[in-house]
Amino acid sequence: MSWVVWRQYRAAAAITAALVAAFAALVVVTGVQAASQWHSALGACTASRTCGNLSSSTLFLGSHAIGFLVIMTLGVPAVLGILAGAPLLAHEFETGTNQYAWTQSVTRRRWLAIKTGWLLLAAAAIAGIVSALVTWWSGPNNALQANAFNPGRFDIMGIVPVGYAVFATALGITTGALLRRTLPAIAVTLAGFIAVRAVIFFELRRSFMTPVTSYFPVGGGPAPTGSGWQLGAGFVGGNGQPLILPLSTNGAVIGGTGGVGLPVSALPASCQQLAGNGRLTRATYHAVLSCAQAHGIRGYVTYQPASRYWAFQGIETGIFLLLAAALIAVAFAVVSRRDA
Amino acid sequence: MTWLTWRQYRAQAAVAALVLAAFAAVVLVTGFQLAAQWHTLLASCTASRTCASLQEGGTSLGSVLGHDFAILSMLAPVLFGVLVGAPLVAHEFEARTSDFAWAQSITRTHWLAVKVGWVLLAAAVWGGAIAALVTWWSGPRNAAFANAFQANYFDQQGLVPVAYSVFATALGIAAGAVLRRTLPAIAIVIGGFIGMRLWISQDLRMHFMTPVTAYYSVAGNFNPTAGSAILNGGLVDKAGQVVTGSSGNVMTVMIDGAPGTSLPAACQQLIPASANGPNGPSGATLNAVYGCLQQAGYRQFLSYQPISRYWAFQGIEAGIYLAVAAALIAITFYAVRRRDA
Repeated sequence: MSWVVWRQYRAAAAITAALVAAFAALVVVTGVQAASQWHSALGACTASRTCGNLSSSTLFLGSHAIGFLVIMTLGVPAVLGILAGAPLLAHEFETGTNQYAWTQSVTRRRWLAIKTGWLLLAAAAIAGIVSALVTWWSGPNNALQANAFNPGRFDIMGIVPVGYAVFATALGITTGALLRRTLPAIAVTLAGFIAVRAVIFFELRRSFMTPVTSYFPVGGGPAPTGSGWQLGAGFVGGNGQPLILPLSTNGAVIGGTGGVGLPVSALPASCQQLAGNGRLTRATYHAVLSCAQAHGIRGYVTYQPASRYWAFQGIETGIFLLLAAALIAVAFAVVSRRDA
Repeated sequence: MTWLTWRQYRAQAAVAALVLAAFAAVVLVTGFQLAAQWHTLLASCTASRTCASLQEGGTSLGSVLGHDFAILSMLAPVLFGVLVGAPLVAHEFEARTSDFAWAQSITRTHWLAVKVGWVLLAAAVWGGAIAALVTWWSGPRNAAFANAFQANYFDQQGLVPVAYSVFATALGIAAGAVLRRTLPAIAIVIGGFIGMRLWISQDLRMHFMTPVTAYYSVAGNFNPTAGSAILNGGLVDKAGQVVTGSSGNVMTVMIDGAPGTSLPAACQQLIPASANGPNGPSGATLNAVYGCLQQAGYRQFLSYQPISRYWAFQGIEAGIYLAVAAALIAITFYAVRRRDA
C-alpha cells in the first residue's frame, strides 16, 4: 500500500520538495545576513553601553521581501489542506477509482489508514520544515523587537504551524469523504480552516491561561512585559473599576506610558480644575498627578508573560491535533459505512 | 448556451450570493457603528477646535471584526479564481464532458466565449460588490488616517479589486485549459496570483508615474498633502547626489536621515563625540551642523506620489490586470481551439 501511495504522490512530492528547497535557500541566505548584522550591532552597542536603546533605534534586520514571504507562510497549512487533503478521498470518489481500490485484497480501513497516515505525516513534515526555517530566520528580530508572542508572529513559529497543517489536511480529507466532490470540499476546507483559526486567534488564545495584571502608579511606568503578549492597558479608579477613556486623546494627557495616556478629561472634576485650560505647566502637571494619585487612580497592564510562550504553543497545537483526530475518526466512519 | 451556463453554475451562484450577503451584513453593521463613532468624534473635536490633531493617531475607529473582514476581502479574488476559474475548462476535460459539448451544433469558440464571458462578468460583479462595501466601510478611516494610498488599503478599495478578481479568474481558466487538470490549475492560481500581486504592489506600483520630488532646507520641514504616498527622502549634496552610507554603529548620530560620518569633514568636526549616544546631539550642535551643511549647498529631499494621483494609480493598476487577463483569455482560446476533440 505504501508503494501505491508513493506512486500516487511522487509528482506532488517532487514539486513540494522543490518549493521547500527554494524557500529554504532564500531564508538561509538572508537569515545569515540578518544574524551577522545583529551580532555586529550587539557588539557595537555593548562597547558603547547603549544596548538598552537598541530596540527603539531604526535597526532593520533581514530583507523586506523575505519578511513578506515569511508572513505568507501563514497560508501554508491552508494550501496543504486544499491541494493535498481535499482531493485525497473526493477525487477517488469522483473518478470511481475507489471501486477499483476497494475490490483488491487490501481492506478499506487499511487503504484509508495508510493513505491518511502518510499524507498527514507529510503535511506535518512540510509545515515543520517551513516553521523551523521561519523560527530560525526570525531569531534576531524576536530578540530585537520582543514580539514572538504577538498575534501573527506566534502563528508562524514554533510548533503551532504543524498543528495547523495536520488540522487543515484532516479537514480536507474528511470534507472530501463527506461531500465526495473535490471542489466543494476545497471550498469548505478553506472556509472551515479560516473560521476555526479565527475563533481561536481572536477569541480563545488570549484566555488559555488567566492573564497577569500588574498595577503601577500614575506618572510612573509599568513594569516592562518583555517578550510577553500585552492584552490591554489603561487606568483604574479608586474603586478598582477601569476609567472610561474618551475616544479622542486631544487635550492634556498625564502619565502617558504603557501605550496609553490618561487624558485629564477622564479625571474627577476636582482634579480637572487644577489643570486649568490649555497645556499643563510643570507645576499644574504635578498638582494634577498627585490629585489623581490621591483619588487612588492607578495604571494597569494585562499581559501573558513571556515564560508562557511554549505552554501556549503546546495548548494551541494540542487543540488543533485533537480536532484533526476527531475529523479523521469521522472520515473512517464515513468510508467504512459507504457502499462500494 | 447562456441557459446551459446558468444550469451549470446555479448552485455556485447561490453559494456566492449567500457568502456576499453574510459579508455585507457584517460590513454594514460595523460600518454604521464606525460612521456614528466618526461623527461623534468630529462633533467633539469641532467643539474643542482640536480636529487638526486627530490624524496624529491614538484614535481607534471601527471594530476589530470589521477591520478583519476588510483585510479578508483581499482573498476574495483568489477564492473566485480557485473555485470557479480553474475548473471552468479543466473539469470539462477531466470529466470528458468537453467531448459531448464539442459534438453539438455550437462551435467550440462560441461554447467557450459564452462560458468565459458570463463567468468573468460574475467575477467582476462579485468582486466589485465586495470592494464597494469595503470602500464604503473605510470612508471615515480614510478621512481620519489619510491612508487610502498606503499598501494594503489601496488594494482593498476602489477599482483594483474588480481587476484582481477578473485576473484571478482568467488565470484559473487559462491554467485549466493548458494543464487540463483542476488541481494543478488551482495551485497555479494560488501561486501566480500571490506572486503577481506582490510583485506589482511591492516593486512596480510606486513607479507607475514619476514621483514628485521636493527639495527643502536642511533645517526645514516639508509635509506633502495629507495622504500622499512617500517613497523616500533624505539629504542631497550640492551636486544633487543622495548622501548615503552605512552607519556601522547603530548609535551613530543621524542628521536628516544620513549618518554623521558621511557628512563633509568640515561639518563632521562640529559633531562632538558625545552626540553619538542615546541622548543624541544638542540643539546647539544641530544648528551649527545645519548652518555648515547649508553653506556647503546641502538640501533635504522627499519623493512622493501625491494623493491627487490616487485614481490615476487605481486606473493604471486595474488596466494592467485587465490587460494580463485579456492575454490569458487569448491563450485559453488558442489552447481550446487547437486541442483534438
